[in-house]
Amino acid sequence: MLPVRRLLAQPRFPSFSLARSSSNSSHKRYDVIVVGGGHAGTEAAAAATRIGAETLLITQKIQTIGALSCNPSMGGIGKGHLVKEVDALDGLMGRAGDYAGVHFSILNRRKGPAVWGPRAQLDRSRYKEFIQSELLNMPRLTVIEGSVEGLLVSAADPEQPGKHRVTGVRMADGGDKILCSSVVLTTGTFLSGSLFMGRTTSPGGRMGEAPSCAGLSHSLKEVLGLKLGRLKTGTPPRIIRETVNFSLTQLQLPDPQPTPFSFINTHTHCKPEEQIPCHLTVTTPGVDRVVRESLPVNSHVQQDTKGPRYCPSIESRVLRFPGRQHQVWLEPEGLNSDLIYPQGLSMTMPPELQLRLIREIPALSQAEIHTPGYGVQYDFVCPTQLFPWLQLKSVQGLFLAGQINGTTGYEEAAAQVPVFPLRACGRGVNAGRTALSLPPLSLSRTESYIGVLIDDLVVHGVTEPYRMFTSRAEFRTSLRPDNADLRLTPKGREEIGCVSQHRYQEAVRVQQGLTEALSTLNSISLSPPCWREKLSDVGISENKSTLISGEEMLLYTDVSFSMLASTFPDLLSPYLEFAERIKIEAVYRPHCEKQQREMERMREEESLSLPPDFDYFSQQVSLSNEVREILDRARPSTLGAAMRLKGVTPAATVHLLNYVTKTDRKTRGK
Amino acid sequence: MSLSRCWRRALRMTAVRLRVRVRCDSSVSSAAGPVDTIYALSSGQGRCGVAVVRVSGPAAGGALRSVAGLSRALPAPRTALLRSILNPQTNEVLDRGLVLWFPGPHSFTGEDIAEFHIHGGPAVINGVLQALGSLPGLRPAEAGEFTQRAFHAGKLDLTEVEGLGDLIHAETEAQRRQALRQMAGDLGQLYNDWSQRLKRCLAHVEAFIDFSEGDLIEDGVLNQVDLDVPQLQMEIENHLCDERRGERLRSGVQVVIAGSTNVGKSSLFNILCQRPAAIVSPIAGTTRDIVETSLDIGGFPVLLSDTAGLRDTGDCVEKEGVRRARHMVELADVTLVLVDSTQLPQEPPMVSGFLREYLMNVLPSGNNYKQQRLLILNKIDLLPKEHISAIQNVLTQTSDLAPVCILSCHSREGLERFLTLLQDRLKTLCGDPLAGSPSLTQTRHRAHLQNCVEALNQYYQYRNVDLALAAEGLRLGLSSLGRITGKVGAEEILDVIFRDFCIGK
Repeated sequence: MLPVRRLLAQPRFPSFSLARSSSNSSHKRYDVIVVGGGHAGTEAAAAATRIGAETLLITQKIQTIGALSCNPSMGGIGKGHLVKEVDALDGLMGRAGDYAGVHFSILNRRKGPAVWGPRAQLDRSRYKEFIQSELLNMPRLTVIEGSVEGLLVSAADPEQPGKHRVTGVRMADGGDKILCSSVVLTTGTFLSGSLFMGRTTSPGGRMGEAPSCAGLSHSLKEVLGLKLGRLKTGTPPRIIRETVNFSLTQLQLPDPQPTPFSFINTHTHCKPEEQIPCHLTVTTPGVDRVVRESLPVNSHVQQDTKGPRYCPSIESRVLRFPGRQHQVWLEPEGLNSDLIYPQGLSMTMPPELQLRLIREIPALSQAEIHTPGYGVQYDFVCPTQLFPWLQLKSVQGLFLAGQINGTTGYEEAAAQVPVFPLRACGRGVNAGRTALSLPPLSLSRTESYIGVLIDDLVVHGVTEPYRMFTSRAEFRTSLRPDNADLRLTPKGREEIGCVSQHRYQEAVRVQQGLTEALSTLNSISLSPPCWREKLSDVGISENKSTLISGEEMLLYTDVSFSMLASTFPDLLSPYLEFAERIKIEAVYRPHCEKQQREMERMREEESLSLPPDFDYFSQQVSLSNEVREILDRARPSTLGAAMRLKGVTPAATVHLLNYVTKTDRKTRGK
Repeated sequence: MSLSRCWRRALRMTAVRLRVRVRCDSSVSSAAGPVDTIYALSSGQGRCGVAVVRVSGPAAGGALRSVAGLSRALPAPRTALLRSILNPQTNEVLDRGLVLWFPGPHSFTGEDIAEFHIHGGPAVINGVLQALGSLPGLRPAEAGEFTQRAFHAGKLDLTEVEGLGDLIHAETEAQRRQALRQMAGDLGQLYNDWSQRLKRCLAHVEAFIDFSEGDLIEDGVLNQVDLDVPQLQMEIENHLCDERRGERLRSGVQVVIAGSTNVGKSSLFNILCQRPAAIVSPIAGTTRDIVETSLDIGGFPVLLSDTAGLRDTGDCVEKEGVRRARHMVELADVTLVLVDSTQLPQEPPMVSGFLREYLMNVLPSGNNYKQQRLLILNKIDLLPKEHISAIQNVLTQTSDLAPVCILSCHSREGLERFLTLLQDRLKTLCGDPLAGSPSLTQTRHRAHLQNCVEALNQYYQYRNVDLALAAEGLRLGLSSLGRITGKVGAEEILDVIFRDFCIGK
C-alpha cells in the first residue's frame, strides 16, 4: 500500500461531519476527482467543492500543494486581468496573492485603466501556507497523496456525445481503484515530462520530484486515442542572495500603497512599509559569448520543440537578438528567503557554464548558484479536442485544465477552472441542454479574458505555450481589471453557483453604489461658467455653451471624483469609497457602449450550439467538401466558433443553421 | 474577409429569430441595438432608362426628405411623387425623378424604405449614391443585405433559407470578383499598403502596452507611431478629397476570351471589336499579354480581353502571359472558351469528354460557382458537314457542358447565332443587380476609408491620456480598412510584435 495520508477537513458544519463519517471508506465514490495539486488543480478542487461536489484531490506530495514552481510572482499585464477574474468567481489565487505578496505594483499605471496590470512578488512559503490552509479546511474535499496510473473508462452513455465515459482512476503500484463521476486532469508539465540540463536528460516534471504520469500518458494516447503535442519551457538558476552585489543594480521599489488583487480585500497582508524591493541589471557581451560556447553541450536548445516566443531562455534571446543588452530582474523569493530569482536568465546549459554566465554580469560577478536552471519538455493534449467547458469531446466526464492544455503561467492555469465545475459535477447537464438549445455553461469572449483564453484554445489550438496578452481581447475596453466583479460575480453566483453569499452581496453593493453615483452625477447639470466658478483649474473650452453633467465633467483628465465630491459634498460624499471606479466608468462608458453591438452579435452566434456528434458528411446538409472537412476536424461547439474557423463560408453557415434548425424542430416535435 | 462580417450579421439575425422561437419561455431579449440605414442601386447596371436606388432603415424617411427636398411631410405611402433630386450638401439638382415611400413594417425589408427612380446614366446614379452617402447614419449596403433584412423581419420563411444560402454564395462571389478586379490594380496596392502600415502601428502600440514595463522596448517606438499615424491619415484624406487620383474604374461586363494556343482567340477578338486590334498569325503563342478593349455590344458596356493561349511553356515571357491569362479568367464575368474544332476527337461520342476536360483546364479550379461561360468551337469551315452535324448531335445530348456555339471566324459562319447568345448573357448579367457596379464598390470603399480616418482621430485624442483608448482608435481604423483589404487578427499583430521586439519577461 502507498503511504496514503488522508487529511480530512476540519468540518465547519456539523451536518457535513455526519455525512462524512458515514461514508468515510476507501470505497467511497466521489463526484469529482482532481489529479494534480498545482494552480489549476487547487482551483479546480476548490471550485468543485464550492458548488457542493464531494471532491478528491490526488497529488504526489501534499507538501508541494500551492508551490510556485517557477517565478515568485503573480499578475502583470493581461495575467493580472486573469487573477482579478478568478477572484471575481471566488477562486483562491487573488486572496492567496494578497496574503503572500511582498512587493505590490500596478504596471501600466500611466497607460489607461483597461490595461493596468496588478502584479506582486510573492513569498513562496506564505503562498503555499495560504493555499494549503484553505484547501485542507474545505468541507467536502479530501486530499490524498499518490500517483494515478490510469483512468477507468467504460462504454459511453449513448444519450451523450463521446466514445468513452470515465468512471474513476487507478492508483499506481497496484493501488486502489477510486470511482467518480468526473475526473479533472491538471498534471501540468508532468505528462511524459523530461528535464534537460546540458547534455543530460532525465524524466520528470519538476526538479527534485519523482517522474509520474507514465501510465496516464499511455491512457490518453493509446487507450483514448487523443492527439498530443510537445512543448518546452525552462526556469533560471536560483542565486544565493548574499553573494549578489546589489550596489551595481538599479533599485525597483513597489507601489507605496499596495493594491490588493481580491475584490473582497481592502488591504494586503503585508504592510506598505514591510514591502521589499527588486533589483534590475543587464546582460553583457560576455553573456553572449558563454551562450554561444554552450551550444554544443546544450541539447534543450538544439531541439526543435516549440518554446514560447515571449518568455524565452537567455540562450534563445541571445541567438535571436545578438549583441543586445537584455534585462535581468533580481527578484526576492520571500521575506526571509536567502535566494534570488533572476527573471530573464532561464537557461539549460551545464551547471558550470551557468555559473560562468551569471558571473559575466557585474552585479553577479561573485554570485553562487543554489540550484541550477533547467529546461522541461512535456506533452500537452491538443486543446481543439475539448468543448469550451474543457471536457474532452470524446470522453464523457473527463476534463483537462492548466498546462496540459498547452498554456503557460500560473494565472492561465487557474483561469481555466471556473468554466467547468458545474459540468464536472454532473449538474446543469440535462437532456434539454443538447443540440440547438441553451448556451453551454462557459464564459464568452465578450465577458471575460477567461473566455478569450478558452475560446482561443479550443477553436484555434496552440502552436507555442499560450500566454495571455491584452491584445488578444477584442473587447479590451470593456473587459477591465477594475470591473471583473461586476462582469462575473453575479453570473458566478446565479448561473454557476461557485460564488459565496458574502462575495455576491459585496458585488451587488458595489454595483448599486456605482449606479447610484453615476445617476447622481447625471442629475447635476450646470452651465460652463458655473463649472468654471466651482472648479477653477479645469480648462473647459470657451466656446462650449450647453449644460455639462457631472459625469461629463469626469471626462476631463484633471477632474477627479473627489474634486466633485468636495464641490457637492451632500450629494456625492457617500460614494467616495468608489471614487476611482466611478472615474473609470465615466471615461470608459461611451467607448463600451460602442462595443455593445459587436458584443451582442458575438453572443448571438455563440448562443446557437451545434450538436457535438453532428454528421458533417451527411448528404442532407448542403456543404462543399472542403467545408465539411474543416467542420468535421474542428467540431465547433457553437455557430460562432464555426464562423471563426478559416475556410467556413457565410453560405455554409446558413446551410448549417438551416439544417440544424430543421433537425431540432423534428426532434422536438416527437 | 470583409464580407464575412455582413454575413455574420445575417446569421446573428437568424440566430435571434431562431433562439427566440426555440426559447419562447426565455426572458433574454434580442437587444440588437440601433440598426444602420443602408442604401444601394437596386436595378442593374448598364444602359437603362430608369435606375432604382433603394434606402432601408430608420433614417430612410429623413434621407427621403433631404434628398427629395421635402421640408415637412413624407409622401403618402406607396404613391409615386415627381420631385427634383438634390444633393443636400450643395442643393445642386442631380435629376428629376419619382420618389416612393414604404413605411415599415409593410415593406420588402420590414423597415422604412425610400425608393428613388432616377435616370439611368452613370453620372446621375453616382451623384445620388454620393448624396445619400453624405447623410449621417447611412452607409452603402453590403451584398445581399436587403434580402438579409427581409429575412430578419420574417418576410422570408425558413424554407426559403436554403435559397438564401445559394443567393449569398452568388452575391459574395460576384462581389469578390468585383473587389478582386479593383484590388488587382494600383488602388489595391494603395489600400494594402495602408493596411500594412496601420497594422504595424497598432502592433507597436500593443507591444508598448503589453510589454514595455520590464522589457527593452525602445522609447522611440511610440514616437515613430506618432509620426506614422498622421501621415497615414493625411494620405487617406487626400485620396478621399481627390477624386481623380484613384485608378479610373473599369466599368462594364468583363468578357474574357480564353483557350489553348492557336485556336483563333485573337481572330474572334478582332471580329468583335471590328478592327485588327490584336495581331493574328498562324504561329502558336502570338498573343503574350492581355489585349483589352471597351465595346458596346447590343447596348451593354463590355470590357473585352484577349489572352495568351494556355499551354506549358519554357519561354518566361509567354509563361507570364499564361499566368495573366489565368488571372483574367478568374476575374471574368463571362468567359468565352475557344476550341479548335479540328483538334476534336474523330469519334463523335468522345467529344463531350474531351470538351469537359478542356473546360476544366481553362476555367479556374475549385470554383464551383457557375460563372457565365460559352464554349465556342471555331474553325468549322475546315470540317466536313456530316462530321459537324454528328458533333452537334452528341452535344445536344450532353447537358452538363457550357452552352456551345459552332462557328468559323474565317468564313463568319455561325457568328450571328453566337452574337445573339452573347447578348442574352449580357442582358442577364446587366439586368442583374448582383453584377457589382464599380461606382457602388467605390462608394463602399469611401465609406470605410472615411470611418478609418475618423477612428484615427481617437488616437490623438487619447494618446497622452489613456493609451488603451488610443490603441482602440487604431483597432477601429484597422478594422474599417480590413473591410476592404481583409481582416487582421490578433495573432498577426502578435507576429509583428515578436518579429520586431525581443520580449524577455
